[in-house]
Amino acid sequence: MKTLILQTTNRVIMGILLVFSVFLLLRGHNLPGGGFSGGLVAASAFALHALACGVPSARTMLVFDPRTLIGLGLAIALLSGAPALAEHLPYLTGLWDKTPLPVIGKIGTPLVFDVGVYFVVLGVVLLLVFSLADEEGSWS
Amino acid sequence: MGNGIILSIAAVFLAGFVSPAAFRLLGGRFGKLLALVPLAAFVFYASLVPSVGGGRAVHAAIPWADSLGIPLTFHVDGLSLLFLLIISLVGTFVVLYATGYLHGSKSLGKFFLYLMSFMGAMLGIVSSDNLILLFIFWELTSITSFLLIGYYHEDAASRRSALQALLVTGAGGLAMLAGFILLGVTAGTSEISELNALPAGTLAAAPAFSWILGLILLGAFTKSAQFPFHFWLPNAMAAPAPVSSFLHSATMVKAGVFLLARLHPCLSAHELWVGIVAPVGAATLITGVFLGLRQTDLKKILAYTTLAVLGTLTMLLGIGTELAIKACLVYLLAHALYKAALFMSAGSVDHETGTREIAELSGLRRTMPFTAAGAIVGALSMAGIPLLLGFVSKEYFYKALLDADGPLFLWEAIGVGTSMLLFALAVIAGVRPFLGQLKATPKHAHEAPWTMWIGPLVLGVLAIKFGAFPGWVGEHLITPASQAVVADASFHAHLKLWHGWNTALVLSIITVVGGVLAYAAAPVWRRMSAGLYRVLSAIGPETAYDRLLDGVLGFAKWQTRTLQNGKLRNYILTVGGFATVLLIFQIVRVPFEIDLARMSPPSLLGTTVCGLIMAAGIFACFAKSRFTAILTLGVVGLGVAILFFLFSAPDLAMTQILVETLTVILFVLAFYKLPLLREFSSSAIKARDAIFAAVFGIVMAALVMIAFHFEQTAGPISDYMSANSLPLANGRNVVNVILVDFRALDTLGEITVLAVAALGVFAMLRLRTPKP
Repeated sequence: MKTLILQTTNRVIMGILLVFSVFLLLRGHNLPGGGFSGGLVAASAFALHALACGVPSARTMLVFDPRTLIGLGLAIALLSGAPALAEHLPYLTGLWDKTPLPVIGKIGTPLVFDVGVYFVVLGVVLLLVFSLADEEGSWS
Repeated sequence: MGNGIILSIAAVFLAGFVSPAAFRLLGGRFGKLLALVPLAAFVFYASLVPSVGGGRAVHAAIPWADSLGIPLTFHVDGLSLLFLLIISLVGTFVVLYATGYLHGSKSLGKFFLYLMSFMGAMLGIVSSDNLILLFIFWELTSITSFLLIGYYHEDAASRRSALQALLVTGAGGLAMLAGFILLGVTAGTSEISELNALPAGTLAAAPAFSWILGLILLGAFTKSAQFPFHFWLPNAMAAPAPVSSFLHSATMVKAGVFLLARLHPCLSAHELWVGIVAPVGAATLITGVFLGLRQTDLKKILAYTTLAVLGTLTMLLGIGTELAIKACLVYLLAHALYKAALFMSAGSVDHETGTREIAELSGLRRTMPFTAAGAIVGALSMAGIPLLLGFVSKEYFYKALLDADGPLFLWEAIGVGTSMLLFALAVIAGVRPFLGQLKATPKHAHEAPWTMWIGPLVLGVLAIKFGAFPGWVGEHLITPASQAVVADASFHAHLKLWHGWNTALVLSIITVVGGVLAYAAAPVWRRMSAGLYRVLSAIGPETAYDRLLDGVLGFAKWQTRTLQNGKLRNYILTVGGFATVLLIFQIVRVPFEIDLARMSPPSLLGTTVCGLIMAAGIFACFAKSRFTAILTLGVVGLGVAILFFLFSAPDLAMTQILVETLTVILFVLAFYKLPLLREFSSSAIKARDAIFAAVFGIVMAALVMIAFHFEQTAGPISDYMSANSLPLANGRNVVNVILVDFRALDTLGEITVLAVAALGVFAMLRLRTPKP
């Protein structure tokens, strides 16, 4: 299944998809997008890479094991609710820094929460894709 | 002082939590240090004796789940204090004892974590003022007891006993929780001190009272191993000796008795109380001595005598006269002192000689003088010999029985008869192994380390001191405790050693004579009665327990085979079928009208897309290859995405397209492994599936139209979200704001489910049995 066309295209597309996924994640609070769709796009990027260049290569690119990403994402989402407790507000109440940063925009705990969602979705999809692909001897 | 109570409980828990780390760092030495914690608690509780004894109960409260009406309230009166003193004193010696008994054990830190957690929970039970708080501590003792009984977890019998104790006491605990909630709702308060202050008979008149009483009694009876739930206690002797002497004689099994005493003022004013509690206690008492007689294992003998005593205490509470309450509390104190001593001594004997069989043990006083002294004093107290607290308690026990209403000397006969047998068992278990000629044992016996005999010895000294001079105990411990149980602050329980020549004393003398005879006859009885016991055990409650457990497991297997048979098609049918039935039920129940005129007219584009989706769906059903089926389903998915766009929901549309894309990738990956499509279904099954699919579709469509109706009448919920998304949550994308802010907790739950599902798939793919 390793074809030259797919491998060459992938080299270009992968970067664009990953940047696009972060773009979706960051704009999500005001415009269509968010952690869920961002995570799905990022997952498609790595899945495409796995199709083109094999699972081991995709795993190397990802650096972290998908299971680590799931745990990391859950931990981020879980902790993003904690600052509200310090302010004596209910858990997961959104707190915002009102001055927007360049490029990223306004920073707040819901954004951190969304980053957690992003990583969980990325990890979950890739865990499925890699596990299924590893089964196929010819892919790895 | 109120904070002191909370602090002392917290300190015990904390000491448990640091134990695993501390034992790794400091080794076995930490055990002796650890004993200082319960000792400090004991000293503190002892310092409360004058004020609590003077009628000033200690009260403390921390706000907690106030919206549910569950504050952390603690209330220490005479009854609580008596228990606090027993638990912390016996606890101190048990911790010391365990450092010797389990010396060199690998998981000593874990053991003390469980033991101290248990102790903290037990202290919590007896000082809680809130029913729910009491329940939490109660369950904690069940769980720690489970862990402690199963301490030797490599042993299958240990695991079985641990599970049995957990299931029996846990089931009772759940019944008790139901009873507590009913009680709280009926009375309008869950504070025990307020419940007990209600005028007598208020609760007994409530219609739910028999349920309240029955459920709470179930909890108390299972915990205190009352007939017919008694079987778990002797089996719990699989635990190490320190656990047996602490949990299964002196403290945990008394929790049930404590609860009966605690709630005596508000629950006893009903004929059911006397009608149930006293007979159950009597039955336990008789069962205990009767089954105890056949035993030849030191710990088992002691376990059955513990059953007998628990029965006695319950019976006395059931009789419920002031004299009976006083007798119950004296008996309880005496038993805690002598039984803890006897269990520790039995453990030492086992530890040093390698056997607990009474036939193999003899003359140990020569090699184990201190252990022998503690055990013999304990046994004599249990037998009811004068100058020991056991004698005093037995005198009051007889007095209470003589005083009680009952048919024709029934109580007296039960009391004297069982006391004779208890006398015999005390001599068999506590005196006989130490007298006579020294016998060869599996291990060469020598005296145990001081940590193991100091407890029995001190407890023995206390039994002598309290027995010879019972005045102080009566004045400062028993009187305040009795006042709490009978809810009468003017009640006074004077204890005296010598009452002159009266009926109780005559009964005591008869008991000793009868006990000696019973001791002599015990070996003969054991030989003759083996067949009888076999028949009894075949029809006993433990057999019923086993049957019930087998039944539950059998049912679980059956329903797993039936519902989770591995055919995805059936799963969809089950889940969808139930959903359809419930939805139809709800649609029929709630009146509504569908007003087509108020809906917007169908657009050409929308209608075309819908037609495309339907056509693709139907086509997929008749597809001959999997590839076609997947492609046509993709058309359905993309069509839905277009609909989302048409109704200006770009977020949903985008996500839908992404999910469709990934589905294709996953399908490609799994494609080669799947078998070819074949005809699996008969026409009948196909027809069934078609009908099911049609009904499900129609119901969902109806649901959407009904939702439209309610949106028209009640206003759409989206208004609030749209109006507040920017001002409250700083976001213009309402969908995202709902996901990460308004309903963030739901999202957190969803991503957790997602993660668990992915791990499940991963495990299934990885752990599959490899093909040959």
